[in-house]
Amino acid sequence: MARTLINLPQAPRRGELIEIRALIQHPMETGYRPGADGKVLPRDIVRRFSCRFNDGAASELVISADLFPAIAANPYLAFHMVATGSGMLTFTWEGDNGFTQTETVALKVA
Amino acid sequence: MGPGSSAFAQAPPPPLPYVVADDGIPEPLTGAPGDAVRGRAIVANRQAGLCLLCHSGPIPEERFQGTLAPDLGGAGSRWSAAQLRLRLVDGRQLNPTTIMPSYYRVQGLVRVGAAWQARTLLTAQQIEDVVAYLLTLRAPRQ
Amino acid sequence: MSPSTQAMQKDDSQNPAMLWVQDGEALWNRAVGKSEKSCAGCHGAAPAAMRGVAARYPAYDAAAQRPVNLAGRINLCRTRHQQAEPLAAESQELLGIEAYVAFQSRGLPIVVATDPALAPLRERGRKFYQQRIGQLDLACAQCHDDNAGKRLGGSVIPQAHPTGYPIYRLEWQGMGSLQRRLRNCLTGVRAESFPFGAQELVELELYLFARAAGMLIETPAVRP
Repeated sequence: MARTLINLPQAPRRGELIEIRALIQHPMETGYRPGADGKVLPRDIVRRFSCRFNDGAASELVISADLFPAIAANPYLAFHMVATGSGMLTFTWEGDNGFTQTETVALKVA
Repeated sequence: MGPGSSAFAQAPPPPLPYVVADDGIPEPLTGAPGDAVRGRAIVANRQAGLCLLCHSGPIPEERFQGTLAPDLGGAGSRWSAAQLRLRLVDGRQLNPTTIMPSYYRVQGLVRVGAAWQARTLLTAQQIEDVVAYLLTLRAPRQ
Repeated sequence: MSPSTQAMQKDDSQNPAMLWVQDGEALWNRAVGKSEKSCAGCHGAAPAAMRGVAARYPAYDAAAQRPVNLAGRINLCRTRHQQAEPLAAESQELLGIEAYVAFQSRGLPIVVATDPALAPLRERGRKFYQQRIGQLDLACAQCHDDNAGKRLGGSVIPQAHPTGYPIYRLEWQGMGSLQRRLRNCLTGVRAESFPFGAQELVELELYLFARAAGMLIETPAVRP
């Protein structure tokens, strides 16, 4: 399991525009770099990130992004959403070599 | 070449002798004249000349030039070939505290890495090429 | 440092080095070695037990008769008390524990250890800092004292204060120790480097910390 840092505001007002930040530990190896032995290191990147919001009634996609080799190691993504109500935010990272990780964080509106 | 040997591993010849007169080296280090085009390439190359790490110069295609040392622009108006040659070969004879490396000196160095031991930063011919290039850098007429 | 790099460091939810601090916290509490003891098993909770430690290292280890930096101390603890294998230099585990321990001193001023055994070692570090070395024949002081703030190529030369180690360096795309950074400069001037853990490097660390006395620890720092 890779480490993640997920940050969202505590108890935002209903209807407030909030910023969500998500960072994951990942080498993002480009597939173009030589290793110590001179051979090219195989590509190992996160290819897709998504965040879904589930208020208990329905699950809705908040954002999804395709990632490419030019993105730095330990990719950090920040995005905005309207806090329509309380619910669960599910973050998913998927990548090369079968990499997949899901984190779930509660969003509680005041 | 046999196994385990390479051109890189061979000990290079020691630096050629030279004669300092006033604040310069009047005679070229080699018989072949310097080539300003090759010299420009050496100055621009951050693994060969290393010049642009500290100096800036009229080489617009090279970004991220240094600010530690004077602009090379106009160097050919400020200095003669002899003066430029000594400043490249061993500027510390003129200013012992300069941060400019001596490009043609192997004596008096401490803890040189194995890959660079007994090697001058530039060859005699490369010094002549850089001198030839720097002489082309004339200050604009006032 | 650019405002964006500073912002990245200051915000713990943006600072990627906090991932290693998290790793270190888990390792702090994990029993290892034949002793089956964790760091916490002896020291207790790190926020209290490790507060201020990184601000006064390196220290002199009387039993080993040599100066040790924080990573060296962690490995001595592993071999002596946990009866575990030492962690490899620059391994993610060692960087994690080191970052977690040093993080407990964040915001505290660097204090110079008064142990008299350290004084001659620190002096050797100072001399090395001022010694011209390598094919480029440059001393640490010539760049980091005399020319700090100017640009070497595209990079601003810093004042060489060891306030934030281990650091997340954007150029490395990862974490690294002060010794990794020192070895970078040694190679940069084309000098023969020292292996990780060499006493010469610890002596240089001793001098750098004394030189930075009073500055605040900012581990885990982000650097370009």
